[in-house]
Amino acid sequence: MTEETQQEEVLGKAYDLRLVRRLWYFIIPYKRLFYLSLALLPLQQAFGLAQPYLMKIGIDQYIAGKNLLGLQTVMLCFLAALIGETVAVFAQYYFSMLVAQRCLADLRVAIFSHVQKLPMSYFDRNPVGRLVTRMTTDVDVLQEMFASGVITLASDFVMVIWIFGIMLYLDVKLALVSLALIPPMALAINFFRGKARQTYRQIRVRIARINAYLGEALSGMAVIQLFAREEKTYREFEKLNADHRDAYHLSNLYEAGLYSMVEAAGSVSVGLLLWYGGGEVLHGAIGIGTLVAFKEYIHRFFVPLRDFSQKYTVMQSAMASAERIFQLLDTPLDVTSPKNAVVPKPFRGEVVFDHVSFHYKAGDPVLKGVSFRIAPGEKVAMVGATGSGKTTTIKLLNRSYDIQQGSIKVSGVDVREWDLRALRRHIGVVLQDVFLFSGDVRANLALGDPSIPLERIERAARVANAESFIRRLPEGYDARVRERGSNFSGGQRQLLSLARVLVYQPEILVMDEATSSIDTETEALIQDAMEKVMRDRTCLLIAHRLSTIRNADRIIVLHHGEVREVGSHAELMEKQGIYYRLYQLQYEREELKLASHDTPAQRLA
Amino acid sequence: MGRISQYIWRYWRRYLFGGLCLLGTATLVMWIPWWIREAVRIIEHGGSLSDVTYYAVLIIAAAVVQGFVRTYSRALIFNAGRDVEYDLRNDLFAHLEKLPLSYYHKQRTGDLMSRVINDISAVRVMLGPGVLNFVNAPLYYVYAMALMLSMDVRMTLAAVAPFPLLIYVAHQFRGRIMKSSLEVQQQMSALSSHVQENLSGMHVVKAYAQEDFQAQQFIALNKDYEVKSMEMAKMRGIVNPVMQGINGLTVLIVIWYGGIRVMRGDLLVADIVAFIAYLNVLAWPTAAFGWMLSLVERGRAAMRRLEEILETNPEIRDEAASPAIHALKEGIEFRNVSFAYERQKNGHSALEEINFTLPVGRSVGLVGRVGSGKSTLAQLVPRMFDVSTGAILVDGQDTRKLALRELRRLIGYVPQEPFLFSTSLKANLALGRESYSAEELTRAVEIAKLDRDVEIFPLGLETLVGERGVTLSGGQKQRATLARALIMNPPVLILDDCLSSVDAQTEAEILHGLRAILKEKTCLIISHRISAVREADEILVLDEGKIIERGNHDELVRDGGVYAELFQQQRLSEELEQI
Ligand SMILES: Nc1ncnc2c1ncn2[C@@H]1O[C@H](COP(=O)(O)OP(=O)(O)OP(=O)(O)O)[C@@H](O)[C@H]1O
Ligand SMILES: Nc1ncnc2c1ncn2[C@@H]1O[C@H](COP(=O)(O)OP(=O)(O)OP(=O)(O)O)[C@@H](O)[C@H]1O
Ligand SMILES: [Mg+2]
Ligand SMILES: [Mg+2]
Repeated sequence: MTEETQQEEVLGKAYDLRLVRRLWYFIIPYKRLFYLSLALLPLQQAFGLAQPYLMKIGIDQYIAGKNLLGLQTVMLCFLAALIGETVAVFAQYYFSMLVAQRCLADLRVAIFSHVQKLPMSYFDRNPVGRLVTRMTTDVDVLQEMFASGVITLASDFVMVIWIFGIMLYLDVKLALVSLALIPPMALAINFFRGKARQTYRQIRVRIARINAYLGEALSGMAVIQLFAREEKTYREFEKLNADHRDAYHLSNLYEAGLYSMVEAAGSVSVGLLLWYGGGEVLHGAIGIGTLVAFKEYIHRFFVPLRDFSQKYTVMQSAMASAERIFQLLDTPLDVTSPKNAVVPKPFRGEVVFDHVSFHYKAGDPVLKGVSFRIAPGEKVAMVGATGSGKTTTIKLLNRSYDIQQGSIKVSGVDVREWDLRALRRHIGVVLQDVFLFSGDVRANLALGDPSIPLERIERAARVANAESFIRRLPEGYDARVRERGSNFSGGQRQLLSLARVLVYQPEILVMDEATSSIDTETEALIQDAMEKVMRDRTCLLIAHRLSTIRNADRIIVLHHGEVREVGSHAELMEKQGIYYRLYQLQYEREELKLASHDTPAQRLA
Repeated sequence: MGRISQYIWRYWRRYLFGGLCLLGTATLVMWIPWWIREAVRIIEHGGSLSDVTYYAVLIIAAAVVQGFVRTYSRALIFNAGRDVEYDLRNDLFAHLEKLPLSYYHKQRTGDLMSRVINDISAVRVMLGPGVLNFVNAPLYYVYAMALMLSMDVRMTLAAVAPFPLLIYVAHQFRGRIMKSSLEVQQQMSALSSHVQENLSGMHVVKAYAQEDFQAQQFIALNKDYEVKSMEMAKMRGIVNPVMQGINGLTVLIVIWYGGIRVMRGDLLVADIVAFIAYLNVLAWPTAAFGWMLSLVERGRAAMRRLEEILETNPEIRDEAASPAIHALKEGIEFRNVSFAYERQKNGHSALEEINFTLPVGRSVGLVGRVGSGKSTLAQLVPRMFDVSTGAILVDGQDTRKLALRELRRLIGYVPQEPFLFSTSLKANLALGRESYSAEELTRAVEIAKLDRDVEIFPLGLETLVGERGVTLSGGQKQRATLARALIMNPPVLILDDCLSSVDAQTEAEILHGLRAILKEKTCLIISHRISAVREADEILVLDEGKIIERGNHDELVRDGGVYAELFQQQRLSEELEQI
């Protein structure tokens, strides 16, 4: 687990009101629908409340007075109220769900778009599974809030007030006796509240953990199986799963307690009513119809309260989700285009690193005062031991991360002043970590631009030497690519990602170990084909195999995050520095090995 | 539904006990209206206040007891739902762990995740709140009916006359809700798959300024999800109020018909009140009936999706009587091995007629063009895939007859694409080994030349590596996977192009360190570079899935085939640089 998870646990107290206000922001576009659904609430309640009243009239006046016609009229009114209520309830639910679905869809898009803009450093720290949870499960919890009718909470409250008013109007003392239990209940609810929120927070954290763990285990299943780690992994998963379950066990108890308490309080109140009201009737202070109506009102009073207790738990859970979601939405976008972003025209493929220092984690510098310049159209190679900071240099060039010191200029403009999108459009990178999207070969090469003609794609594939194997696939360019390209060989994936950058036709071409998994023969073919592509482009090549960079104009040697040597092959050879040694090593290795070790033939003898 | 009942069965005690508690609660709930009726009757007849008080106290006492029993029963049943969820999720995970690689090549991670999280949760809702209502509703109905019947048969019959309507509505909507739920869940899966993939490819998304395109795709999927959810909500929205309305209808009938009879003098107002009270009690189960309908249908739809996973046969699994092997004695043999991936089933195969032996203590090198089948061949040894025809023998035994775990523990595998888990570097290195000495760790780290990197990391081996090892450099990742295999100290080592991202100097050092180890081990080495395989006892050259040349380095160079050409080319390019 990464550090962030712990941070989530100690997340400070967020105020519900603020959360609700932020949610409201998403409802605003559907304000009208929302108000419509709200407007239906009093209607629905009026229809509902009319029913006991009609009942009272029916019993007290007509049944007691033996007036059949009157009873029939009242009952027809009752029927009308019933139909009215049914229709109003449906319409209210329908409109509120419409609002919910739309605004939550917007919320999901907002999260997704926000996440797209988050800096790479965020993804280094946050497991994918957790972010997926935010966009799916957490938003679903909010949907549950709407579906369970939490927006009717306010109207439930109004309803309860209404009933209270009517009861007071009918008989003050009776009303007070019937509702004597309200104050202690309020205290109890407050107690549950604090508890429930805490557990729901825990639950959100734990479900996200399960998701993160699951996501990772699923994508690394091959490794788990290869290393026969199934049992251990299972135990770890089980532990997370158990944590999640335990948190829910607690919340279930709270929920059940709250619900049952309200339910019991309703019956106790009826008992109180009978005891006190019975006396009143016997004394002739009130009519029996009033008692019956009161009983009915108590029922109607406690139903919303009971629902309230349920909605309340849903609400608590929803607020816990909303906290997470808004926390994500509040994550600052450190790497964005500035207000008045520049797109220099005409574009010159010049790259300048000026005393660039960079660290991923404070106190652990990766680049230390790196300076170099690549002239437009120049081909520069970057070599250096593994972990020396080559890939990092590239990530800085296309501003995947921001540097802490110095400046990086592309076409004479600091990358931080560039329009980010335009900058990345001009720089095409073949990344060291090959990644293909699921879909088909063509979509992977065209990367989301359907207007790119097939011919251009084919040309790129030809240059990257990917054409031959694509052609051999039964569906050719329409062949299915599975997640991460798992149905292609390692080298084939690399060829595809190389072809992709060629389709992209960037002004600056950056290749990070673009042919590391390619055989020598194919590599040679690619190099020949690439020569033409590279001719009028600025190129930055990173390679461990020195043969790969043989047509570079200059070579930059990076060592422990510092530029140690810069110059052409010949110059560097003359200098007899790091490059020279590297070179000697690679070249002489063959000879060395033959000399220092038995050849297999000798061993056999 | 067979599988679901197995899970319910596992917790039958709890469900039974919870059910009994519900019965208790229901009993109390049902007596309360009865007592109300008695009390009202006394009041109506102008009886004594103490009699009224008696009933009032009874009601209050029953309410309090009911409160506790209800808390208990609800918690019990909801928790049982959570327990089933827990079990089901564990079982799914365990099952997923058994499924072969070929399954994962077909499935999308986000889809599987969605099933294990969202679908299970839908099943849980069915088994917690769903079961509760499932038990409660009939209980309430039977009780209320019995009591109402005991009061007045005709009146009861009149009151329940609209109930068949209820059943009709439920029947009408069942199938549709099921279908709609299935669609919603599927769309949810599609949505999470997209998000999951987008996030794991974020570096590419950013580098190629694909954010907008990705968002567009997301918006389309999201819109679909919205529409499908709305479809679902609409049905839920119709069913619930209709159910409630039907309940209201029964009240209406009671007052109307009851009123007429009161006027005739063969019924008391108190009876009407009691009837209404009972019907009120039924209001919740009736409304819940509609709600339950959608829960159950949704749960079933979800379960169906889970069963798709659970019913997938783990094709690669232990045969019944697999003998255990602890050490390699003779070696590994490929005998007439052919293998085709699924998409290749009717075209040509990835491997054809592969025959070779890898005697214990020896090494075989594999070279060949991109996509020639090297990784495929290597993956067949630990049975990541099963051969289509032929057999792979370990010590003369078909690998399909060996215990899978034992077989895999014999092999230290360095995959072509490094994969690390988001824990500490140390935990990653120790993946294949429960216990190891500090020296073993240091040695493995040294041989993989990870020692210098570890020295630089402020946290050393405790450094967290991020998902897939994103916070390491390409070469560091690769060397970490090498060290991970070495620390296992297995008799067999399979190295699939494991030095491709390592610079020449480090490579030379690693090869130097490896050489000592490789002597004691049986190895299969895949590489594009002659330097890594030239000392192998036998080198196989693969092309389009067939072995086209074999022999040791000297022989192959002498014979002047593809290998010799490759050798020349690599030398040539190196010499070229010298000029
Ligand atoms: N996202 C990250 N967070 C923290 N540290 C990182 C991150 N990416 C790289 N590093 C560290 O920065 C250093 C330089 O890494 P970089 O990827 O730039 O190396 P490289 O020169 O490309 O190496 P290689 O040849 O192995 O690919 C390494 O020590 C690495 O561990
Ligand atoms: N999961 C899969 N489904 C279908 N075809 C596959 C799958 N994996 C690989 N292939 C195909 O099988 C062939 C052999 O692939 P393999 O990965 O064995 O090649 P390789 O020799 O390791 O190549 P490389 O040097 O590029 O790693 C390739 O044509 C590849 O496209
Ligand atoms: Mg790198
Ligand atoms: Mg391979």
